[in-house]
Amino acid sequence: MNNKYVRILALCLLMLAAALPGKAQIFPNGYLNIDWQVNAPDGSFADKVSGWGMNFEGGYRITPAIAVGPFLSYHTNLGSVGRRTLQLGDGTALTTNQKHSLFQLPFGVTGRYSWFNSSVLQPYVGLKLGANYAQMSSYYYIVKQYDDSWGFYLSPEIGLTIFPQPEYRFGFHVALYYSYATNQSRVLTYSVNNINNFGLRVGVSF
Amino acid sequence: MTVKKMFCAAIALFTLAIVACEKEPSTSDLHEDYLVYTAHDTVAEFPEFDTYYLPDRILLIGGTDKAEYWDDERAQQVVAAVAAGMDAAGYTRVADKELADLGLQMSYVRRATYFIGYDNPYWWWYYPYYWTPGYWGDWTGWYYPFHVHYGYTSGSMLIEMLDLVQTPDKKLPVVWNSFIGGLLTSDADLNLRRMLDGVKQAFAQSPYLLKSIR
Repeated sequence: MNNKYVRILALCLLMLAAALPGKAQIFPNGYLNIDWQVNAPDGSFADKVSGWGMNFEGGYRITPAIAVGPFLSYHTNLGSVGRRTLQLGDGTALTTNQKHSLFQLPFGVTGRYSWFNSSVLQPYVGLKLGANYAQMSSYYYIVKQYDDSWGFYLSPEIGLTIFPQPEYRFGFHVALYYSYATNQSRVLTYSVNNINNFGLRVGVSF
Repeated sequence: MTVKKMFCAAIALFTLAIVACEKEPSTSDLHEDYLVYTAHDTVAEFPEFDTYYLPDRILLIGGTDKAEYWDDERAQQVVAAVAAGMDAAGYTRVADKELADLGLQMSYVRRATYFIGYDNPYWWWYYPYYWTPGYWGDWTGWYYPFHVHYGYTSGSMLIEMLDLVQTPDKKLPVVWNSFIGGLLTSDADLNLRRMLDGVKQAFAQSPYLLKSIR
């Protein structure tokens, strides 16, 4: 299901890019970013830093410095748990090794304030607000046991857009972010209460 | 920058989006040891049981629609491991099932023909020639007084312990069960070693079976 929506969005972006006329500013009063991201969750469930995620966002410039628009991103972090005995309650016990997975898909509204909007280097600060879908999974034996949850999402970020030729508005984008989500999930004897992430995004900007 | 370059970049990112979508972990290294699951009837008073009867053969599930038993030298090693676990817990094995307080029935899934997740205590009706209540004597049936969930694959071992003492209604309650499962390899010795380790682990994670704390 998640794959389906992300692929539809990516296809729409591709079609949008293909259909655009050859003019200097693709989005005269806005921007579009497509980023690959590295995410590090602050937790013990699926704690490996990974690059299995992307971020898509766009914005309309209310003023030359302030832009507001939608965003959607997704990320998967994994973790390995060695063989151990889990006490499941009432004396029921399960001994196995596991793979953990934490998939997050936040979306909502993003806003940013940027400086030097006609220059090659355009730094900005931004804030994303929205909802976060998360799936917390444990893989063991031939089983995938998971719990879905929804939470409120908040993510401040700082970034830099680099336009080698500012008049053409095609450039590169790099950002550092922190995010907080209120998701709560439980699988086997593991629980997640609130999800904190740190990460880096690198991509292109139109 | 031209639209052509932008188009190329969009294609590259589109490809990356597909590749980088939700990542499934590799599970190939999850099967080095067998999973061991145990559960029990929390009402059962295990220290009050003294003796047990353990058949020297293991029922095979999934081979045919008639009862088949595994009783070769490898099967005897598995039976011996279960007996060792029961003996270590303080119970005494008896040769006559009518003298036993507890009965153990072991079943091995040779070929997976069922995948079951159930809350039905009489699920065994759906298994042809599964350990029938008549094996244990004049009983009308046996049942699980607690919820269990299994996913069967080839190579799974099921051990069930029945209370042969109580039951005024002529039904046998399963008071402890163990599920040991993992993928079979082409190395029969390795499969057996993992199974024996699983049996040992089943008793190790069931301390309530001990007749006394040592």
